[in-house]
Amino acid sequence: MIKKLITYFLFFFVVAGVSAEQTKFVMSAPNAIETGKQFRLTFTLNEQGNNLKLPPNLTDNFDVLMGPSTGQSTRMQTINGRTTTEVTFSYTYILRAKEEGTFEVRPASIEVNGDVFESNSLEIQVVKAQSKSQPQQQASPQGGDSQAPQSVDLGGDNLFVRVAMNKRNVYRGEQIIATVKLYVSPDIPVSGFDEVNLPTFEGFYTQDIEIPQQINFTREVYNDRIYQVGILKKTVLFPQQNGKITVEPFSMSLLVQQRVRPRSFFDDFFSGVRTVRATVTSGPVSVTVRDLPTEPANFYGGVGNFSISSNLDSENVTTNDAVTLKVTISGSGNIRLIRTPELELPTDFEVYDPRATDNVQTSNNGVSGTKTIEYLFQPRFEGDYTIPAISFTYFNPANGRYITKTTQEYTLYVEEGTGEQSATMINNLRREEVQMLGQDIRFIKQGNPSLHEKGYTFYGTPFFYGIYGGSALLFLILSFVYRKKVRENANAALMRNKKANRIANKRLKAASGYMKQNNNEAFHDAILKAFWGYLSDKLGIPVANLNRESAVASLQQNNVEEQVIADFVEIIEQCEYARYAPSGGSEARHDLYKKAVSTMTRLEKQIKR
Amino acid sequence: MKGNTIYKLSFTVLGLFLFLGTFAQDSTQVLWEKANAYYTTEEYQQAVSAYEQILLEGQESAKLYFNLGNSYYKTGDINHAILNYERAKLLAPQDEDIQFNLELANQFVTTEIDELPQPFFVRWRTRTVNLFPADTWSVISIGAFIVFLGLLGLFLFSRRTGFKKLSFWFGILAIIISAFTYSFAARQTKKIAARNQAIVFCPRVTVKSSPAETGTDLFLLYEGVKVEISDSLSTWKEIRLSDGNIGWLPDSCIVKI
Repeated sequence: MIKKLITYFLFFFVVAGVSAEQTKFVMSAPNAIETGKQFRLTFTLNEQGNNLKLPPNLTDNFDVLMGPSTGQSTRMQTINGRTTTEVTFSYTYILRAKEEGTFEVRPASIEVNGDVFESNSLEIQVVKAQSKSQPQQQASPQGGDSQAPQSVDLGGDNLFVRVAMNKRNVYRGEQIIATVKLYVSPDIPVSGFDEVNLPTFEGFYTQDIEIPQQINFTREVYNDRIYQVGILKKTVLFPQQNGKITVEPFSMSLLVQQRVRPRSFFDDFFSGVRTVRATVTSGPVSVTVRDLPTEPANFYGGVGNFSISSNLDSENVTTNDAVTLKVTISGSGNIRLIRTPELELPTDFEVYDPRATDNVQTSNNGVSGTKTIEYLFQPRFEGDYTIPAISFTYFNPANGRYITKTTQEYTLYVEEGTGEQSATMINNLRREEVQMLGQDIRFIKQGNPSLHEKGYTFYGTPFFYGIYGGSALLFLILSFVYRKKVRENANAALMRNKKANRIANKRLKAASGYMKQNNNEAFHDAILKAFWGYLSDKLGIPVANLNRESAVASLQQNNVEEQVIADFVEIIEQCEYARYAPSGGSEARHDLYKKAVSTMTRLEKQIKR
Repeated sequence: MKGNTIYKLSFTVLGLFLFLGTFAQDSTQVLWEKANAYYTTEEYQQAVSAYEQILLEGQESAKLYFNLGNSYYKTGDINHAILNYERAKLLAPQDEDIQFNLELANQFVTTEIDELPQPFFVRWRTRTVNLFPADTWSVISIGAFIVFLGLLGLFLFSRRTGFKKLSFWFGILAIIISAFTYSFAARQTKKIAARNQAIVFCPRVTVKSSPAETGTDLFLLYEGVKVEISDSLSTWKEIRLSDGNIGWLPDSCIVKI
């Protein structure tokens, strides 16, 4: 259903298109004529019209000799079973120019079905008539063979080629339009080309303008003469070096049909057209190229007139997204020769080589078009980055100045990518080494300069040696003092050691006195005192630190016999026991006393001091 | 009464000295701060003259030479930068920043010298000696000596055999350490005092075989190279490169470190 509808719809459009064919009303005339010569002014119309009004002020400059003679032509065409009919109506006037000059023929108008249509306007150049013979010569090709055959000079002004340049004094890189033209006097019938060596424009970067394959001859006035002019080649030139560049002469051969002048009666009989080869050579043409003024920064070789714009495809991206900044340089000039402007991206971006594409049209006005540069990069880490503006400087030859145009600055907001992406990113990226961006010396040291006298070192100063000597001296003094004191202490101990036995015997004697008095407590006390005091003096242990265990340990250390120690312990135990629980009689005390005296004697023997 | 006046006089003199000392300290401190500020604001020429001012007052330190070297480096005077880095390195051989900047400055030196390989023990000793500057070694040596004395005392007067053994061995260790560090300190001090190294300042100088202009040309040296002075005769110095080459050059071409 929908398909059907679309078909109908399309069909409707086709029909509408056919019916809405435009009315064309065209005025045509040769663009160059001579004074006093007739020419045709033709109007063509693709529909029936009436009430043709000639352009106003036409008669000011031209005489209307005849007209209008109307004509009608019909053309039927059958293509794929469809027949189209094209009817053309023409109105022809024959005019003659009154005087020399360039005249504008304003549009004419005509009524078609009540609507008024206007034609195009024309410009006609009128030049002075050539020599008197010209009108006859002009007529001769049309007049046929019956006229007297004549030969035309093939050299000089009648047949030549030249390279026309629209500018002769340019800046380097400024475009010049060069046209290779063949000038043929209207009297010379050219039948073809034999050999064409078109110029090679050395020293230029060239770009050809497309012209029709078939050479169309147009009438043109050059040096006040009318020529049939054929354009052989049209090229846009960009000079690539400074100074005078000369386009070398080039030559071409033409085949010209020439009537042979009869030299005799018989010749006349055979006379006809003879094809003659004529070689024409152009003159050298030179162009003066000036160097550009001192190139500023951001000059990328552009000469002409340009504009620049940029477009960032997305401002909010995640890490590792590819971002494209598209920069478009458009205008006319040497657009192909413009180098890629530099874009300073943040250094931790993955940056790919920019890709440039040219879209250039070459027309009669020169080269124009666009250059699109795509900068592709991938932000690796999140954050806000600034994509700086690109400054593009070009040289405008029209005013001889450098002009700088700048794109917009962008801010790129980069967010952390999704988990998967960051997982792969860790593999790829987090292992990157630290990127060295530059190298410089380390910064100065701050804080306390810790200055000292020049050449001063602590080593070698008297103070330095003094510390050694002083500490050694101090050590000696200290050790001397210590040693002396130790000796004194040792003497004191010796004294006590020596006295120990005497004191012990005295105490034991006192004990025997108490024994005789039957003073039980004092007796045992005296024996205990005798032993503790003896051990304290003999072993050098303060009385306060003495108890049974330490005494035994100390005695064992001094290699006293176990039997003696055992006796000693027994006496002590007995005494301590008897002190508080009086038992036994004088017999027991007597035994104890005897035992104490013998133990004491044995101790005295065994403890060597 | 008489003693009193002498005391008074000596106190006055002492006070005067202290005052002068603090005054000098203050002015160099101010200069130091000023120079650092100049450097930070990238006015390197002023920074150079301020640091040089401190040197003129007879003061020096590794930091000062380092900062001066940095300022010279920034003004593009690589020779002076190297000279001052080398001086800083003498005073603080262990400082990494000095080493780093010196290596960077040496990249500008045209003459490249392949150093003669040294035996491993010499390299080890050099590395060990360069761990600290002379003063640190001196202090370590004194400390080790005092520890040794303490251990000696312990050895002599301790009654416990364990203490005695321990203090004996540690004492031996301490006296060895003290002796070694003393020799290190001596070595470092000698290096500073000897000043037998120099930097070539002439852009290009021909080293001769004898101390005269008529001597045979031996080799060419370009500015910034470090040489060792081994002898001197009138205005000529015998120099020795680290690759072992020896020759004579006029002493106007070199500046001692």
